[in-house]
This record gives sequence, C-alpha cells and structure tokens, in this order.
Amino acid sequence: MSILQEIKNRVRSKSIHVTFVDVGSCNGCDIEVLACLAPRYDIEQYGIYVHNNPREADVLLVMGAITPQWTDKLRDLWDKIPEPKAAIAVGNCPISGCVFARRHMYIEPPVEKYIPIAAQVPGCPPRPTEILNAILSLAPTLFKDYEEKQR
Amino acid sequence: MKKTVDVSIPIGPVHPCWKEPIRIKCETAGERVRRAEVELGYMKKGIERIMRGRPWQEVMFLAERVCGICSVIHNMVFIEAMEAISGITVPPRAAYLRVIVNELDRIASHLIANFSYCYTIEHETLAMYLLNVREVVLDNLERITGSRINTAYMIPGGVRFDLSEEDAAALLADLATVEAEMRRYVKMFETGPLIGLRSRGIGILTQEAAIEAHAVGPTARASGIPECDQRLRHPTYRELGFAPVSRTEGDNFARVMVRFDEVFQSIGLIRACIDRLPDGPVRGGGDCGPGEIVYRGEAPRGELAYCIRSDEYGRILDISIRTPSIMNIEACSHYMVRDVTSLADVTSTFISADPCIACTER
Amino acid sequence: MNSIIWYLREFLRVEWLQKFFFAKTAPLVSPQYFKDYPTTTGNECTGCCTCMMICPAPGAIEVLRRRDHWDPVIHKGHCIRCGLCVEVCPEDVLQSGRVLDVQRRDGTSFRSWYHLAVDDALCMRCGNCCVSCPVNRQEDPQLASTGTSSNDEVIMKIEDGRVRVIHEEKCTGCKTCETNCPNSAIRVARMVQGVHTEEKA
Repeated sequence: MSILQEIKNRVRSKSIHVTFVDVGSCNGCDIEVLACLAPRYDIEQYGIYVHNNPREADVLLVMGAITPQWTDKLRDLWDKIPEPKAAIAVGNCPISGCVFARRHMYIEPPVEKYIPIAAQVPGCPPRPTEILNAILSLAPTLFKDYEEKQR
Repeated sequence: MKKTVDVSIPIGPVHPCWKEPIRIKCETAGERVRRAEVELGYMKKGIERIMRGRPWQEVMFLAERVCGICSVIHNMVFIEAMEAISGITVPPRAAYLRVIVNELDRIASHLIANFSYCYTIEHETLAMYLLNVREVVLDNLERITGSRINTAYMIPGGVRFDLSEEDAAALLADLATVEAEMRRYVKMFETGPLIGLRSRGIGILTQEAAIEAHAVGPTARASGIPECDQRLRHPTYRELGFAPVSRTEGDNFARVMVRFDEVFQSIGLIRACIDRLPDGPVRGGGDCGPGEIVYRGEAPRGELAYCIRSDEYGRILDISIRTPSIMNIEACSHYMVRDVTSLADVTSTFISADPCIACTER
Repeated sequence: MNSIIWYLREFLRVEWLQKFFFAKTAPLVSPQYFKDYPTTTGNECTGCCTCMMICPAPGAIEVLRRRDHWDPVIHKGHCIRCGLCVEVCPEDVLQSGRVLDVQRRDGTSFRSWYHLAVDDALCMRCGNCCVSCPVNRQEDPQLASTGTSSNDEVIMKIEDGRVRVIHEEKCTGCKTCETNCPNSAIRVARMVQGVHTEEKA
C-alpha cells in the first residue's frame, strides 16, 4: 500500500494538468498564463500541461474578480474536475477584487466564497515566473498521500 | 414549410479557442452556418460606474484595467482627454516617449492576436514563435516602464519615467532582432499552403459590409478602409508622417496580414521616434480642470473613444467608454460568419477579428 | 539507410542526449528593473501618509504607528505594484525596482495638496467642520463650539457668519470635516501633479 502511494505521489508531482477559467478579469492575467506556454518560460518542461477541459485537469487557475454571471457557474465547473483537485487564485482580483473592489461594483470577490482555494499568486498581473513558481512549489505537496488523507 | 435551419450549436462560454468567456450560437444547415448570434455579459464589472466621482489618479488605473492586452492605449486616451479638457501641454520629449510605449504595446497586442489565430487554425509552431517574439517586446516595455502589462506610464503633463541612453540602445538592438525574426515568420505565414487553405477566402467582409457594420481597426483596414485609423489625427503621429496600411481582400488572411504589416510599421515608428527624440523635461505639471470632451484614439483593435465630464478638481463626474471590439464582434456575427462553409471556420473567423471581451463588457 | 544511421549517430551524441533530457530554460528570476512590491530602504518614515493618499488600490498600503516610529506596510493581494508610493514619498522610505534611481536621475516627483471647497449655498454655518478638524484643535485649543476663533493659524474658522478657509496647505486630508458636515457642504479634494524638480537633477 505504501509503495503504491509512493508511486502515486511521485507521478502526481511530475505530471500536472492545469486548466484555467476567466471569471471576469481584465485579460492581463490571462495573457500572463498564456506567456507561461512560451518557449521563454516553457511550462511543459516541468511536466505541467495546460488543458482546456476541466474534466481532464488537476489544478484550476481562477482569474478575475467574480462577476454575478459566474457565481453559480464556477461551482459547476469546479464540480466537474475529478478528485484530487486544487484551485489556485491568480492575480489580485480573485483574492481581494483589486482596484474594482469599490463602491458601486458589480463583482463579488473573493473567490473563496465559492470554491476552496489552495494557493494565491498576488500581483496585478503576476509575472509568468511567479505563476510558474506557485504551481511548482505547490505540486509536490498538494496531492501527497491523497488516499491516506481521505481515510 | 421548408426547413432552413437544422440545428443550433452553441460555442462557448468556456471554449479552448477563446481565452475569455463568450458564447456564439450558430444556426446551421448541414455544415454550413446560416446565422450566428453573439451572447455577451459574462465579464461585466461595471468599471464606468466605479470611475464616477473619483480623482484622475485612481481613474487612470481603472481605465488601464479595462483591458489588459491594450492597457497602454486606454491609459493614453484617458490622459490625453484629461489634458485636452484642462489645457495642459505635453513636453515634446514626453509626447515621443508616449508614442514609443504605445507602439511597443501595439506590437505585443498584434502578436498575441496573431498567436491566437495561429493557435486556432492549429499551427502551433508559428504560434509559439510569435509568443516568443512577444516576450522580447515585453522585455523592452518592462525596461522602460517597470512592468510588463498595466504599465501606468502616462500622467497628465508627461510620462513617469525618462528613457535613458542605454535603454534606447537596447531597445534598438532588440527591435532589429524582432524585425529579422518577424520577416521569417511572415514569410512562413504567407507561403504556408495549409494556412492559405484555412485563411484565404474565408470570412469575407466586403468594403460595403464593413461600412454598414461600422467595423474599425485592422478589420476595416483589411477591407480597404485605411482612413479609419485614428492615428492620422494624432498630432505626434502626424509629425512622424504616419500612413496606415490596408488591404482589399477582407478575408481572414488579409486581417492577419494587416496586423503583421502594422508590426513592421510600429517598429519603423519607434525608430523614427528615437531618432527625433528631443532633449528636455518629461513632466510639465498642470492641474486637471473642469470640462467635457469626446476624445478618440487608435487602439490595436480599432477606434477607442472616451467621453468624459470632469469637475474643477480633476474628478470624473461622468464617463463613458466606447471600445473597438463591440463593432468588430457585431460585424463578425452579421457579415463574416454568415455562410462560412464549415463550423470549424467560425472560431477562426471570430478570432481573426481579434475580439477582446474584457474591453467590450468592462 | 544512410539517413537512419546518421540519425542514430546524431541521437547517441552526448551533447544531444544532455540537451534532450536535461534541457531547462533560463532560470526563473525577475530582472532588476522590474517594479516589485515596495520594500523599505531604512530611511525614517515621518508618518505623512502621502503614500496612502495616492495609492490607487483600496487597502494596499497602510502606515502603522509602532511604539516609537511609523511603519509603512504593503498588503500583498491588494498592491498592484504601480510604484506611485515610491515616487511620491518625500523621504525615500520605500523602494521598488529602479524607480527610485530613475526618479533621482530624472529629477521627477509628484506634488500633492488638498483643496477645501465650501459650498455657500449648502453651508448652514454650524461650525462643525472647524470644531472637528484635528489640525484646528492642535493649533487653537480654545476654539469655540461655534467655530469662531481669534487665532489666525487655524485651517478654517467661522468669520462674519461664514466659513473662511485660511491655511489650506495645513490640511492633512483626513476628511473629518467632510464626514461631520450635516449638509455635505464642505468637500476635500486631493490634487496631484507630476512635476519636474530641476534642482534635484
């Protein structure tokens, strides 16, 4: 059992499938995540693969302050991701609402109200290196001994 | 009764091809798309409502965050509108520096637009090449302004940071590499047979249709309307002898090629700016005053208009923004997508118009 | 056949194998010209709160009173790394990237002050603004409850039955008068100007 768990830990830390959802950002964080794909940063050399399908993903990158349209849809999307899963809030918007958290706003931050957030990457927008570092530092610990924790 | 529409297929809101949530409902007959309808409203943040009653130094940052890709032009148009209201003159060095930063941002924006087009037609190699060139451009933007995106470079009466001699030399050196690489990639795009099959003659927007749909920016310029470029009416660009590029085909290929050509044009403009860069201060000071104005500028996606009313302390009483993408999205859904032969071309046609949903809904 | 052998030999080269299995992109570091979160330089903060006033993001910077000194605190997750606080600070307490160096090189700075505007049509001469103002209380402890004063050092006082603003430059922008005005007749406006100081350059 423990050997199997070891293998699982090892595999899970080396191969992470990431998907991203934009819940009302200004596009800045979007293109910084996109820039992680660029050969300059090359997210895939670390075994991180960016998927577009939540059903195949392990990690969900949430970008943007929550708009009213997304309050129920984000939860649906989160439920579609298979276990084990984790969500990372990229940028200031999902953490605090950034400059939009003012009087008369339509948005409803923070994102923690709707789905559990495992890590936060502050910055407006964060650099690709910061996003990459967050995913990489999270990877070995996030899904470690998942089955044992379940029991 | 004759049946004209077989099935209505929704694309989006979460779709691999668009990075932002938007939904297109395509009414199809067989594989042919009869009609398309765009459904917006997933990104409404109410920025204009937040802006009201705030001083310019807060609205400046909010205006920048209307759109992350073309943030510099939003900043520039807002600041120049405030300057026009309160009669502030900009030092000539600052005016040229603004053009340099704006053109760098335009190159980055056009590259990411063409990246998403190449990604949509599954030419991933060219897409990655373009993304890599964009990193070089963003490096220069970072060297001048201190951040990659959302630079907050311009303030009423000037700019925030001066351009030093070393930075200008590094910028020129990087522009040479960018130009050399881009020549190669444009040749790849022009001569690639599969790219031609996916791009030429698809999603045609004729000149009449472009005028009817009020298309703006590269979309209109690809349909043979070069006069729509607002840079022709900007004083600094006029000094530089700006002439817009245009094409007449009006298909996906022409739209992407117009953007490629504008990258070379922007490189030329930056070089001209650095050549003529006068000495002097970069900040002139000056208070923002009361007034009302409609000010237009040319964003990477087309004409951007700010309508501002401010009070005597530089606070924004009323503001409304018209962003370019809404026109292009409508033109796309009514004219370009109509009667495309395959559902796969709907996404590529839509992306070729370079829609920015964050701009559109704010 | 020849080409297959060529490829086999090519792939067995040590350099190629090293490149294939251990290739990594450039180390993930931020360049020194990147405007990161502001850090303190060690200069003493005087507690003028200009950084708090110019900050465009809500809740990003706070100047806290420690036992015997002031301490600017940046809240990550709110800060948008615009660098305005670094530029506006008169004591160069904060630094971020090379903003401070560039600012010294160019001799640029921000000038900010507060503008007090009283709407005479709305004002009902209650004197609440003059009484509540913390600067007024410091300048003239004997300020009457109606807002009249014999002291000319106060920011504003009631004179001839109306509010007269005397020393606008002393205003710290706390907006106590604005919140205490029953009619919202007095407004505090923050004015900011980007200027070029020649003597610094």
